Amino acid sequence: MSDPRNRQYTNGEITVFWIPSKCIHATTCFRELIDVFNPGRRPWVNMEGAPTRRISEVVNKCPTQALIWKYNKDLSPEEQEAQWEGTRDEETPRTLSGSSSKAKIRIMKDGPIVVEGQYSVIGSDDQELNPTVMTSFCRCGSSRSMPYCDGTHRKTGFSD
Amino acid sequence: MENEKTIFKVNAGGPLEVSGSFEIKIPGKGVHEQKDTIFLCRCGESSNKPYCDGSHKRNGFSD
Repeated sequence: MSDPRNRQYTNGEITVFWIPSKCIHATTCFRELIDVFNPGRRPWVNMEGAPTRRISEVVNKCPTQALIWKYNKDLSPEEQEAQWEGTRDEETPRTLSGSSSKAKIRIMKDGPIVVEGQYSVIGSDDQELNPTVMTSFCRCGSSRSMPYCDGTHRKTGFSD
Repeated sequence: MENEKTIFKVNAGGPLEVSGSFEIKIPGKGVHEQKDTIFLCRCGESSNKPYCDGSHKRNGFSD
């Protein structure tokens, strides 16, 4: 049975599925494409924010398949029906309260350092990195997109 | 009153340095308000996680 928190979004050509229970806050989607994936907004996915090809490219980078996509022509009858259910009471990838307050750091068990709120990030080359509403830093030492989490900790079996 | 903005500094081949005032939640240890600078392990091998214990210098961690 599908999770009632799941959502789907379409631009008429493809449909993006959002499965919150699979999200590990790698934040790849926001970093790559904030015009489409913006957790500060409701609905948090705006399918008009970028061309189809760019959206599918970024969805493919989601390390946990919390985001997946399909061509609309390939949707099951059930999925087509769900298309019309809207996005009410939607969850976003952010689960901490308050977006404009001081920074909140969450150490995820066996996972990344997740940060949100007001903060800035200075990279290892002393340059300020692009601010986003949420950042997820690698803690396992094996990410291929340092300093960010890319989900590798799940493959390497990193534990606290 | 505005809080001082929190700064996350990524130290090359080393820990994540956090300064300013912030809130930190650590599994099994609850939530704490913090104002001191802290260093969070990025190499994965600290014996004092989530904090850095200098292990990155021994294991040759690099970005």
